[in-house]
Amino acid sequence: MSESLLSVKGLKTYFFTASGVSKAVDGVSFDLNVGEVMGIVGESGSGKSVTSSSIIRLLAPAGKIVDGEILFEGRNILDMTHKELLDFRGKEIATIFQDPMTSLDPVFKIGKQMVEMICAHQKVSKKEAHTMAVEALKRVGIPEPEKRMESYPYELSGGMCQRVIIAMAVCCKPKFIIADEPTTALDVTVQAQVLDLLKDLQKEMNTSILLITHNLGVVWEMCDKVMVMYAGSTVESADTKKLYSNPLHPYTWGLLDSIPRLSDKNKEDLRAIPGTPPDLRLTGNCCNFYNRCPYMTEECLKSSPPLVEVEPGHFVACHRQNGENKLVRGEVTVHE
Amino acid sequence: MNNTQSGQPLMRIRHLTKEFKIKSKKLGGKPQILHALNDVSLDVYEGETLGIIGESGCGKSTLGRTIMQLHKATSGSVEYKGRNTFEMKGAELKALKKDIQMVFQDPYSSLDPRNTCEAIISEPLKVHKIVTDPKKRQERVLLLMREVGLDIQHMNRYPHEFSGGQRQRINVARALALNPKVIVCDEPVSALDVSIQAQVLNLFNRLQREYHLTYVFISHDLGVIKHVSDRIAIMYLGRVVELCEASQIYENPLHPYTKALLSAIPPESPFEKKERIVLKGEIPSPIGDQIGCPLAGRCPNCKERCTKEIPELKDIGDGHQVACFYITK
Repeated sequence: MSESLLSVKGLKTYFFTASGVSKAVDGVSFDLNVGEVMGIVGESGSGKSVTSSSIIRLLAPAGKIVDGEILFEGRNILDMTHKELLDFRGKEIATIFQDPMTSLDPVFKIGKQMVEMICAHQKVSKKEAHTMAVEALKRVGIPEPEKRMESYPYELSGGMCQRVIIAMAVCCKPKFIIADEPTTALDVTVQAQVLDLLKDLQKEMNTSILLITHNLGVVWEMCDKVMVMYAGSTVESADTKKLYSNPLHPYTWGLLDSIPRLSDKNKEDLRAIPGTPPDLRLTGNCCNFYNRCPYMTEECLKSSPPLVEVEPGHFVACHRQNGENKLVRGEVTVHE
Repeated sequence: MNNTQSGQPLMRIRHLTKEFKIKSKKLGGKPQILHALNDVSLDVYEGETLGIIGESGCGKSTLGRTIMQLHKATSGSVEYKGRNTFEMKGAELKALKKDIQMVFQDPYSSLDPRNTCEAIISEPLKVHKIVTDPKKRQERVLLLMREVGLDIQHMNRYPHEFSGGQRQRINVARALALNPKVIVCDEPVSALDVSIQAQVLNLFNRLQREYHLTYVFISHDLGVIKHVSDRIAIMYLGRVVELCEASQIYENPLHPYTKALLSAIPPESPFEKKERIVLKGEIPSPIGDQIGCPLAGRCPNCKERCTKEIPELKDIGDGHQVACFYITK
């Protein structure tokens, strides 16, 4: 096995608001090895973005990491000083955010923003930084990179902006990239191009990527392993192929069944998950999924299920999946 | 559902064109023209779902809005039951609006934040004077709320107290209030999470079966479109490039753009390996005059003719229509 790069243990990030404490992330643990691509999937409000912003410690003022540790190459990120963090972000960990149009500063030229970023992290002159930036833009497939250095973000399309951000992210050759919904704002054909680019760069530089998305298709395409989140906690985590062919948590089943597939017969009803996700201020003492789960028992109301390794590398948090009488999914079809 | 092809279409869209004028930056300069819709002709049959798919900027929403007369068409016509809707006035137009309703994309901005759920759903009933007695009107609202799966105890709540999925249900209930024949759905599920999206899609399916509704369903998600539609129109740069039965789009896509679009969709399983057809560059600007096939600059099989003439939508058998010179029977 390759060495571990990032290890998150029992992360709890709460938001202290006027109307109560919102448990946005409530006990998330995972390990990411060098060169691995891991996906986090979940619906809005499941805590996937808060997990990623906790890792780089870019939380809104109301958000506090109340428990847990985040080890990056053995160093605990939570113990870092502000100065250490400034150096750390961008150099060791790069982030690609969801909305490409707003992650670039609208009043500065792209070249200036890239040069500023490179100079902040590497001991190079402005001229060298400029060459590096052009080089990076060329690498992500932007035509006429010299000319684009002089453009403002509004002059580029969404897909182009996202390429610029990827170029900025890879400039300092980070060991780890967090991609928070990198293609959600893009059209499918552009999304395909951006994902291909990310995959190529990842292979070339052997970077680890934490890919946050709500689109399972993107996960199937990109990720080695995947973690499913629901209402702030991990419900299942496994190898991508394993999760697809042998999912264990009822929520994962529901998620897989909810997606309309191209190969489906049309107009058939989807097997939707009933109900809506819970209020994050009220979660914690029972299984968070109990009110939407068709397999709910009394045990589910009494305590929140622990994350148990049922097979090597396959973790699931469900009372009914550990112990005797394991649940069997209604119908499973594996499309090979 | 396959016999919908026979018989008269309920709605006939003919050569619909919509241009937007963009003011010149220079004072006194000539305005530029953005061609949002170019010569779109489609038939909508009773009881079917016509899916419209395309990437952002392809004119799919403009098409929906022009059918609803929220935009004034530059030229062309939309016939409903044999009458040109753009020529209708007064009582006839009001009756038409009763028959054709719309569900909008954004469940947050399409509901008045200062009205309660009950007021929102009962407004069309008031405007069209269908139920004048307030008591009866409330009964009808409650019936509609139950029909779309809303808790009737929530009738006095304001939109901000509902979740996205529930708001979209209010939107559907409002559209349904007038017993319409046709509902134009403009990306009704794109703002929703997958589990909620599945609930709303099932709701659309059930209502169609029960009320024999006709949908014009606009979306950018091919999975969703394939799921709800009987026929699918693929749009690119303001034109329909392919029109076919829903099953055909997956089994037998013909237009190069459709093929590229299908190949760009993320796989359905980690075991699936996709052969990707890459279109060079990005969608060209719809501003200014158009010469040649809209896909000419990006198409892998582009020939000289494509850069000079615009291909028309031709039937190549079984109602499968394609706009490409090099695809024939």
